[in-house]
Amino acid sequence: MKKPISIFTAVALSTALAFGSLSAQAAHPVAIQGQELPSLAPLLEEVSPAVVNISVAGTKVSRQSIPEPFRHFFGPDALAEGAKQPFRGLGSGVIIDAKKGYVITNYHVIHQADEIKVTLNNGKEYTAKKIGEDQQTDIALLQIEAKNLTAIKLANSDELRVGDFTIAIGNPFGLGQTVTSGIVSALGRSGLNIENYENFIQTDAAINSGNSGGALLNLRGELIGINTAILGPNGGNIGIGFAIPVNMVKNLSAQILEFGEVRRGLLGITGGELTPELAEAFGYDTQHGAFVNQVMADSAAEEAGLQAGDIIIKLNQQKIRSFNELRAKVATLGAGKEITLTLVRDGKEQDFKVTLQEAKDSNIAANSLHPALEGATLSSTDPKDKVQGVLISKVLPNSPAALAGLEEGDVIVGINRLRTKDMADLRKIIEDKPSVLALNIKRGNASLYRVIR
Amino acid sequence: MPSVLSYLIKSISIGLLIAVFLLIFFPPLRNNHELPFAEQIETYSRQVESYSSAVRRAAPAVVNIYSQDYQRSNINSQPELRPTGLGSGIIMSDKGYILTNMHVVEKADQVLVALQDGRLLTAQMIGSDAITDLAVLQIEAENLPVIPQNPTYSPKVGDVVLAIGNPYNIGQTVTQGIISATGRTGISSTGRQDFLQTDAAINRGNSGGALINSRGEMVGINTSAFHVTQTLDSYGISFAVPYLLAERIMDNLIRDGRVIRGSIGVIGGPVNPLMAKLWGLEAQKGIMITGVMDGGPASLAGVKASDVMLAINQMPVTGVTDVLDRVAEVRPGEEVKVKLLREGKEIELAIEVADYDELQLKE
Repeated sequence: MKKPISIFTAVALSTALAFGSLSAQAAHPVAIQGQELPSLAPLLEEVSPAVVNISVAGTKVSRQSIPEPFRHFFGPDALAEGAKQPFRGLGSGVIIDAKKGYVITNYHVIHQADEIKVTLNNGKEYTAKKIGEDQQTDIALLQIEAKNLTAIKLANSDELRVGDFTIAIGNPFGLGQTVTSGIVSALGRSGLNIENYENFIQTDAAINSGNSGGALLNLRGELIGINTAILGPNGGNIGIGFAIPVNMVKNLSAQILEFGEVRRGLLGITGGELTPELAEAFGYDTQHGAFVNQVMADSAAEEAGLQAGDIIIKLNQQKIRSFNELRAKVATLGAGKEITLTLVRDGKEQDFKVTLQEAKDSNIAANSLHPALEGATLSSTDPKDKVQGVLISKVLPNSPAALAGLEEGDVIVGINRLRTKDMADLRKIIEDKPSVLALNIKRGNASLYRVIR
Repeated sequence: MPSVLSYLIKSISIGLLIAVFLLIFFPPLRNNHELPFAEQIETYSRQVESYSSAVRRAAPAVVNIYSQDYQRSNINSQPELRPTGLGSGIIMSDKGYILTNMHVVEKADQVLVALQDGRLLTAQMIGSDAITDLAVLQIEAENLPVIPQNPTYSPKVGDVVLAIGNPYNIGQTVTQGIISATGRTGISSTGRQDFLQTDAAINRGNSGGALINSRGEMVGINTSAFHVTQTLDSYGISFAVPYLLAERIMDNLIRDGRVIRGSIGVIGGPVNPLMAKLWGLEAQKGIMITGVMDGGPASLAGVKASDVMLAINQMPVTGVTDVLDRVAEVRPGEEVKVKLLREGKEIELAIEVADYDELQLKE
C-alpha cells in the first residue's frame, strides 16, 4: 500500500518541480510587447522639476550705426551708435543644488540682463541673483532663494558613448517645458566657432532657441550636458544640436563658487591636430591626439618637462581626440589643478604630472558682488605680485565704483578689517551682506581706506 | 515515526530523481519561456540602454568623401584642384569597394576618401548608376573596416535605425529614427517612392552614408536631401536605397561598369475595373499596354497599344512594377515569351529584349 502512494507522491513532486519554473516566470511581468510599453514618463516626473524657465529683461547697447548722411531718412527715433535699447530674452536653466538654489544656465541667455526671473515647472517665479559667468565657455551660475527645490544628479560625462540615449528638457520658443529625445551623435565636437572653448556633446534630440541652458540627460535622469547651440541653416532644428559636457560644467561652477570667477588653467603650449601626415612624418601609430608645436618659457608645461613634437593622447587617463578638446578641458579644469598628461615621445608612452597655471584673462564684473562696486572689474592679483589682494583692473567713469573713489590699479587688501588675499576672501566677506564696506586699498606705495555704503 | 520519515525521504528523493531525468530528457520543460524571455530582455535592454555597440560595429566602415575638380583660377591659367562635393560612403568589402551616392562623386576629377582612423586615400571610380543614384569606388588599403551585412534581415516599418554620415562636414555623426516605409529590391527601381523611408535626421553630407539597424547591420545607403529644396533640410522624411538592392547594383557595377537593364519599349498601366469586367479578367491580373515605342522591341514583335499583357515566360504578371522588374532582369539580346489578350483572344509573341540605356538614347 505504501509503495504506490510513495510513487504517486514522487511523480506529483517531480511534476511540480519540472513545471514549477513556468508558473514562477509567468508571474514576472514582462514590461514589453503590449503590456507595459517603455516610457520615459516615470523618470521625467522625477527630474523635470529641476529644469527651470528663465526670462530676462535688460538694455543692450546698440552696436549698429547709421552713417551720418543717411540718418535723417530714419527720423529722430533712429538708433544712434551706443544707444540703449530694452530687450527681453528666454532660456532654460538647471537646478544643481536644491539647498542653496544654484541654477546653471548659458552665459548667452543672461548676458546683459538687468533682471533675471526663474520660473519653476510648478509655476512659481523667483528673481535670481547672478553668482558668476564665463563668456568663453558660455556658462553662468545663478542663485534663487526658494525652499523645496529639486536638484538634478550630475553624471560623469566622460563615460558617455556615441549611441547612448539622450533626453533634452527646456523651454523652446517660450512654449513651456518641453521634452525631446535622441541619441549621442558624436563626442568631443569642436571647430564650430560657437564658443572659444569647444568640447561639445552632439545630439539629434530636437533643441531649439529657448532650449539654451536646459538639461541634456541620460536614461538614469542624470545631467550629462547643458544644451547650448544648434547647427541649422534656417535657425530651426535639423537634428544637429550641441551641449556642454557636465564634467566641464562641474569644474566651472566649482571655480565660480570658490573664486567668484573662472580661473582658467594654462598649460603653456601651442599646437594643433595630429594629422595623418604629421603622424607619418614622426613615425607614430597614433591617429588621434594633440600635437605640441611649441612649449612656452616659464610655463606649466615647461616645468613638467613637455617638449615640442610630443603628442598628448590622454588627460587624466581619458582619451584626447583633438587639440581643441585638450584646450577646452585644460581651460575649464581650473588653475592650480594637478593633471596627468599621457604623451607619446619617441614612440613611447609616458605620463607627466603638470600643475596648471592661471591664465590672465579672468576678470569679473564687480556689480555681481555688490551694487556699490558697479563699474569696477575685479580679479585676483597674480601670485608673483608683491601685494596680494583683489586687483581693480578697470573702473568705468561716473559709475558707483568711480564715485566711491576707486581707481584702476587699486588693490583691495582688506574689507572691514578682514584680510582679502583673493576673490574668494572678498566674496566670503560680501556674502555676509555687511551694511558698510570699509575697503583697505593699496595704491602704489600708499595705503588708504574707502568707505562704501 | 521513523517509518513516516523514511517514507518521506524515500519519496522525495525518488521525486527529485524523476524531476532531474525529466529535465534532462525534455529540455523544453526546462526552457519553457526562458529563451524568448531572455531574447526579449536582451532586445529590451539593448533598446533601453544604448546603441553604442551597434555604432561601434558599423561606424568605422563609414567614410567621409570629398570630391575635387580641376578649375582654372583667375590669376594664373594653371588649373588647380578645388573641392566640389561632400558626402559619405560605406566600405562594403575588404577589397576596398566603397558604395556612395552618384551625385557626390559625379563630375569629380579626383575623389578623396577619409577613413575614421585618419587615413586619407585617393579612390578610383568603378561605376555609377543614375537611376538609383549609386556609385562604386575602390581604394587600396589594408586592414579596412567592413560594414556588417546580413542578407536575411528584412527591414520592417517601425524597426529602429541609425544613420551614420558626415553632415555639413562637422565630423562623423550618428542620428536615430525608425523605418517609416520599406522599399523594393527590384533593379527597375526608379527613385524615392521605391526606397526605404526613415525619420532619422539626414542632411547634406550624409549622402552615401549608412543606415544600420540596432545590431549594427547595414539596412540601406542614405541618399539624402539631394532633390529636396535647400530651404528645408531634415524634416523627418529621408530616403535610403535598401541594402539588397544596393548590393545588387554594386555587383553589377563591378562586373559591367554600369547596370544593364532590359527593356521592351512599352508603356502600360493597370486594367481598369470596367474593362476587366467586360473582358472577364477579374480573376486574372494583367496590365494594359497604353503605348508602344516606335521601332522598339515590342513594336518589332507586333505588340500593339490596348493589348493586355497576361504573362511573361508563362508566369502571370501581377502589376506594372512586377513587369518592370522582370523585364529589367533579362539580359539584352535574350527573348521573352509574352502572353497577350487581344480582342478577346489570347496570343503569344516572342520579344527580343533591348538594352534600357540604348533604348533611352534612341528616343
